[in-house]
Amino acid sequence: MSLAVRIIPCLDVRGGRVVKGINFKDIVDAGDPAEAAKRYDAEGADEICMLDIDASFEERSTTIETVKSIASQVFIPFTVGGGIKSLKDIDMLLKSGADKVSINTSAILNPELIEEASKEYGAQCIVLAIDAKQDGEIWNVYTHGGKNKTELDAIEWAKKGQDLGAGEILMTSMDKDGTKSGFDNNLYMELSNNLSIPVIASGGAGELSHLVDAVKVGKADALLAASIFHYEEISIKKVKQALQIEGFEVRL
Amino acid sequence: MRLGVIDYGASNIHSVARALQSLGSKVSIVDTPDKFKNIDKLVFPGQGSMGSCVKKLKETEMINPLLESIKSKPFLGICLGLQILFNSSEESKEKGLGLINGCITKIKDINKENLKIPHMGWNNVKIEKQHKLFSGIEDNQFFYFVHSFVASNTETSITTTYYGEEFVSSLATENIFATQFHPEKSGEIGLKFLENFINWKI
Repeated sequence: MSLAVRIIPCLDVRGGRVVKGINFKDIVDAGDPAEAAKRYDAEGADEICMLDIDASFEERSTTIETVKSIASQVFIPFTVGGGIKSLKDIDMLLKSGADKVSINTSAILNPELIEEASKEYGAQCIVLAIDAKQDGEIWNVYTHGGKNKTELDAIEWAKKGQDLGAGEILMTSMDKDGTKSGFDNNLYMELSNNLSIPVIASGGAGELSHLVDAVKVGKADALLAASIFHYEEISIKKVKQALQIEGFEVRL
Repeated sequence: MRLGVIDYGASNIHSVARALQSLGSKVSIVDTPDKFKNIDKLVFPGQGSMGSCVKKLKETEMINPLLESIKSKPFLGICLGLQILFNSSEESKEKGLGLINGCITKIKDINKENLKIPHMGWNNVKIEKQHKLFSGIEDNQFFYFVHSFVASNTETSITTTYYGEEFVSSLATENIFATQFHPEKSGEIGLKFLENFINWKI
């Protein structure tokens, strides 16, 4: 008996509304976050993730209200990411009802943030989120929601994040995100082989077999997807049943 | 009936309080010694290490009223709130509350099965002994866990869970119930468990 593979629907939120883009662009409106979270909980989601895709200082109060609204209605683990820059931001989100925070750009600009946050709140609530794009043999890390390329190698950066005290790695393949053409399983396999903390695979889910392969081939511990769940193209239950048939432990 | 959620300053008490409130309970935050009065039932959500928790309970002078309340009032310890009931832990030099005999140990045999620490995620809870807090909950249901240390081999065990080794995922003795899992994060089944605690009469 081992831990259940976690299915994590992600709510990409902007200004208090769920939105979804394709390849990080072309944003469309897709509803109320708390309603969506409640629906996912009822459908068997193992966690809820909310990413504030362009959280700015002005919109911070909206984000906090959305977090509070979700946390008072949904009683499964809840991760919040987007625009987190300081321990103060983390504190505020955890107090508002988040169980974990996901840190992306700020961790690159200021790696000590991961270290300090992990010491203060525990590794279990610090998720290092990485946006990566393949470039020949390696995957490059991008910041600011995929806008800026860095010189960092995604595998090396994930390892560094683990050493700094991150409890999980949420890796989004920018090549695959929004394409519905399957996960970048080479990336996840490489990550799993190099890390001892759980890996959450994100980007590319389009069909049932894609999700199963990310666990089977990519060895992902958890799967994160937005649009397929949001537009009810594939149900969470179907994903779990498919994983169960393949012999994986799931919470059904 | 008034439920008190103990806040010793280092634990995320909000999700527990929210979950209890969503079930219609009146919840008071207990963060000073005088607030133990007028509380009918206590919930102790713990986080961090046994040492820092006991230290904080002493600093806030809540340790004595807590020990007094545990003698008679229905008590629910969650996560570290289970571990702290024991004599000691491999994690800390500081002693626990000593209400249950035994030592809390680090999860063993992780290398053999290539398991990750902390044990974080959904795992099966096997009912070993029936208890009112598990009424209406089937055997082998999934609950949410986040921890690196475990209790084992206690006569007070109600459920067990396997992760590298079989450990005590919940225990009970008289008016005390404690869980290693987080009922407040275990979805509908977790809420059912908390509802059973709210309705628990000793």
